[in-house]
Amino acid sequence: MSNPFDINGGACVAMVGKDCVAIACDLRLGMQSLTISNNFPKIFNYAPSTYLGLTGLATDVNTVSDLFRYKVNMYRLREERDIAPQTLANLVSSSLYEKRFGPYFVSPVIAGINPTTGKPFICGFDSIGCIDFAKDFIVSGTASDQLFGTCEGLWEPDLAPEDLFETISQALLSAVDRDALSGWGAQVYIIEKDKVTQRLLKGRQD
Amino acid sequence: MEVLLGIAGKDFVILAASKAAMRGPTVLKAEDDKTRQLNKHTVMAFSGESGDTVQFAEYIQANAALYSMRNDTELSPSAVANFVRGELARSLRSRSPYTVNLLLGGIDPVTEKPHLYWVDYLASLAPLPYAAHGYAQYYCLSILDKHHHPDCSLEEGLALLTLCTDELKRRLPIDYKGMLVKVVTKDGVREIPVDNDKVVRSA
Amino acid sequence: MDKLVAQYSRPPHQNEMYSEQEQQDLTASVPPLSLKFSLPPVDNRSAFLRAMTDDHSNPSCPIKLAHGTTTLAFRFQGGIIVCTDSRATAGNWIASQTVKKVIPVSRLSRGEDKKTNEPTPGLLGTMAGGAADCQYWLRYLSQQCTLHEIRHKRRITVAAASKILANLTYAYKGYGLSMGTMLAGMTPQEGPALYYIDSDGTRLPGNLFCVGSGQTFAYGVLDAEYKYELTEEEALNLGRRAILAAMHRDAYSGGFINLYHVKEEGWVHHGFDDMNPIFWDTKLQKGEFSNVTSAL
Repeated sequence: MSNPFDINGGACVAMVGKDCVAIACDLRLGMQSLTISNNFPKIFNYAPSTYLGLTGLATDVNTVSDLFRYKVNMYRLREERDIAPQTLANLVSSSLYEKRFGPYFVSPVIAGINPTTGKPFICGFDSIGCIDFAKDFIVSGTASDQLFGTCEGLWEPDLAPEDLFETISQALLSAVDRDALSGWGAQVYIIEKDKVTQRLLKGRQD
Repeated sequence: MEVLLGIAGKDFVILAASKAAMRGPTVLKAEDDKTRQLNKHTVMAFSGESGDTVQFAEYIQANAALYSMRNDTELSPSAVANFVRGELARSLRSRSPYTVNLLLGGIDPVTEKPHLYWVDYLASLAPLPYAAHGYAQYYCLSILDKHHHPDCSLEEGLALLTLCTDELKRRLPIDYKGMLVKVVTKDGVREIPVDNDKVVRSA
Repeated sequence: MDKLVAQYSRPPHQNEMYSEQEQQDLTASVPPLSLKFSLPPVDNRSAFLRAMTDDHSNPSCPIKLAHGTTTLAFRFQGGIIVCTDSRATAGNWIASQTVKKVIPVSRLSRGEDKKTNEPTPGLLGTMAGGAADCQYWLRYLSQQCTLHEIRHKRRITVAAASKILANLTYAYKGYGLSMGTMLAGMTPQEGPALYYIDSDGTRLPGNLFCVGSGQTFAYGVLDAEYKYELTEEEALNLGRRAILAAMHRDAYSGGFINLYHVKEEGWVHHGFDDMNPIFWDTKLQKGEFSNVTSAL
């Protein structure tokens, strides 16, 4: 049987800018070569400035996003405050490791701004919860090889929100244009301290 | 070679399933019903591993009925879809998972808007304007891409369905014994009689 | 002398048809194949080749061949439409978006340095499966067709050309060739003629063929509206739309729409156009592809 990470396809990327972060994903849901849906977003919102991107097996994208909606809601009720991206990162890590011997086939990406310090934060994970902290960008999904290339080429430190949007969009669109299993449009979130902008990119439809 | 097709239109959802129950090289039954009604405004069509399909569908049917009885209200199509997905996902990581592909069609009783959900045996869930399972995906999705409009009438929807089944008759190497067609509107679920004896000529 | 004159001044062969026997004779004049390909020193060559190149069953295979395609061709009253995508993939990696999958066959000038868009005499072949296999053997076929023209002073029929190719693929059956090709041409003897030939050795004449990983999607659109009486414009649009459908749904098809029309006088190229602007025009103006979101 084929690799569960490559059945449905999909790509996600997060980037740090100056006092802002960006996270973007493609919109494809496929089954091998067949494209089932062109409207399958892979980024989920858990607090005003905390976002989680999930690529990999679509059923686990659904399961894991639902699971964290439940866990984050419980956190908010207990603590009476929104979850910080760092806290979500540790929650994701330990929740994924709980399934060490039968993992969820997802590669999560977190992007957000810490509500107390106001500092941007991004990180990525493998499917069993190893956290990858990064100061520049995090990539995941079937186009991750291509995304490493485009991000290394396009990213620079201290980008303003509009420039960061331009950079992350070009990086994602160029990467998915060289991957057969992702693309078909994209969604971008630009997260600033008290403002989130969501944009839809009309990517190539092939 | 089971065929499932779903089309959502202006104020209806059509679900169609092939009538052949096959086992190996034999057609066991030519009038099989691969659909179950879950509540007044929701139907589910299923295909996959024989045995699993009906067991799973009737388990879902019973639980949807239980919910309606306990709460004196119906689950909306999206609630049913997420419940079904959750049950299938739970079974996926059990010792013997259900191998069932589903299409869920329904009208939201509050907004009266049509909803169609595609669920595969891995429990991936996607809301779609039109959907299919099996080989029908490969032949019919391109037809639906071209001819479907989100606010089409029931007549247009049925004409679209005929376009799809004609293509299947033309290109599939096995006779699937025609389609059973169910339509959901705000008034409930009903079966639509269709002409399954039409002979389609190939180019 | 009279004998010589009679031999070399034949009347034009406008209204002649080849018999099966004549076709056999024509292909028999092709020189026997020189098997000058080096072969791997193993017992089961096709199994060895498959183990080395089939990335579907073995994703870490050492040799990745370009694969994945949608090609179509159909006969109608005004000739033959030939249309292809332009993507080559190696696994999930898109190796190229600008592959020319329609290959002109036969004639010394194959239209490569042609300035005007006048019809070019000759046949068209399409490419699906192994890119190198198709390119090499269609070039070989081109050579044989040109030799045929010189020897017999008339253009080869599509029937004969396709037979040369089918005999060739059959001779190499089991060696691991991978090709699904269509030959289209219009000769005075045959009218519009279309043949499907593949690496199993199958050779089929027909009205309508789609080949490649996206074939079913193209068949879906094509079958729904195909009829022999299509006008030239309708036929061109239908061919283009069928490839567009396949590019959209099949991950291994995409890139540019390459469209040809084969007529009595020869083939005419109708563009090598990026699918993306065509897709959005189709969606936004005609309201098709309602599954694709264009606004948040």
